Amino acid sequence: MAELQKDPLTRKDFLGFGILGTIVGAILTIPPAAFILGPIIDVDVLGESDVPSGPDDWFEVGPISDVPEEVEPKYFKVNFPVEQIYGKRSIQEESGTSDESFTVPSAIWVSWKHENLPDGRPGESLRPSFLDRKSEGFSESERQEIQDALNVLSSSCAHLGCPVRWITREGEGEFLCPCHGGIYNINGEYVAGPPPRDLYSYDFEVREDGTIYVRHQFNTGGDNGPQEPYVI
Amino acid sequence: MIGRVRSQALETGKFITDWMEHRTGIVTMMEHFLFEPVPKRGAWLYSLGSATLFCITLQFLTGILLLFYYVPTTDHAWDSIYYIMNDAYFGTLIRGIHYWSANFLLVVIGLHMARTFFSGSYKAPRELNWIVGVVLLLLVIVLAFTGYLLRWDQYGFWASVVGMKIGSYSPFVGGPTIHFLLGGNVTGPATLSRFFAIHVWLLPAALAPFIGIHLFLLRKHGEFGSEFEYADRLAKLHERQRLESYEQYEEEEGEPYTGRRDRADRE
Repeated sequence: MAELQKDPLTRKDFLGFGILGTIVGAILTIPPAAFILGPIIDVDVLGESDVPSGPDDWFEVGPISDVPEEVEPKYFKVNFPVEQIYGKRSIQEESGTSDESFTVPSAIWVSWKHENLPDGRPGESLRPSFLDRKSEGFSESERQEIQDALNVLSSSCAHLGCPVRWITREGEGEFLCPCHGGIYNINGEYVAGPPPRDLYSYDFEVREDGTIYVRHQFNTGGDNGPQEPYVI
Repeated sequence: MIGRVRSQALETGKFITDWMEHRTGIVTMMEHFLFEPVPKRGAWLYSLGSATLFCITLQFLTGILLLFYYVPTTDHAWDSIYYIMNDAYFGTLIRGIHYWSANFLLVVIGLHMARTFFSGSYKAPRELNWIVGVVLLLLVIVLAFTGYLLRWDQYGFWASVVGMKIGSYSPFVGGPTIHFLLGGNVTGPATLSRFFAIHVWLLPAALAPFIGIHLFLLRKHGEFGSEFEYADRLAKLHERQRLESYEQYEEEEGEPYTGRRDRADRE
């Protein structure tokens, strides 16, 4: 090919083409690339499917009095709102655009922690006994005791994110994932199947009136296996 | 009367054909497409590539039709497909073709690849055609993946979640890729918009030029050897067969073969 060129490419030409090529190439590629890669560059950009997950964004789950005493979780549905506003909020409100926001309905399994017997069966419930007498007006230490005894589990399987279900057979129950057969016990601990870790548990708190609140975030403390990646 | 009309029609047809041939070369091209020399054994297997192209064409056509009713928003996506399936004229047929031909497409591509592999058609000088074919396969797989979420029903939703989560396990690129696809941190409206854009514009636009390159390379090298090479080989084969028949004649008759006419004269 080179012998077809009339004039050989000089060093000056080469550098000139290189610099010009870089500038033109950058002008042509950076804007479209940045346009579609927005969610990777800036995670909090407006117009994304983001559920607010700041330190004060608590969402109500339900009362702890609904959580059964037996080895059985209670299913709560929480509609996490997706913050998705294009442009300025004030203009949206003024123009009367629908303020119905998209929600992400999420299933949350709440149960009392149970001791693990050596044969793998659930043992004693850790439910605080003062709950038999009162259902609201908890003190700080009582709230802490309740929080230590509660499982607030995401229904999203730690394997590939399918929703798990509580299946009972012959009096014994377990969380079963319909996609690939992951099995967890009442505390959300890994029992069998492909999952690499336990079920994820939400960041939650119990308030004075005995209501559970969660943040749209997983409690990534403790030794439950690899923390990431996860899908809420 | 009828004879005259017929001959006039024939002449007009011939004129149009010649005119087109002179300007576009389409007649020769059609002859190449339609009278491709292929080995007699397993000749049908050589139609799998055309079957793939046929399925992709169906995808394009029915996809364009579906866009007239489909609404890519979270609150209307499922409803619009429900409308297509239940109220729109021939909606079941159009969407059914899109759905089933997408499934058959992957099957046919697999068979097409297997045929190419077992007949050794990926060898020189056709290596690049294999590579372009693999790019096409990957594009079609991503198209199938992104199309599934657009239904916005339980099947499509959870299949997409599982698929994205499988992808998220990839080292280094997993996380950013998923953020790119999700457009946020949950599967929501931005996710649907992104999948729609990828399924309807980005990937078909990428697919078309690669199909063009695939077909160009196929034409360049021929389906079964270059056509000229093939004709050449065929001529050589006939020549060899002729010589062999002379030898046989010599053996049987005990005199050299001097042509049929001579023999007939003698008799």
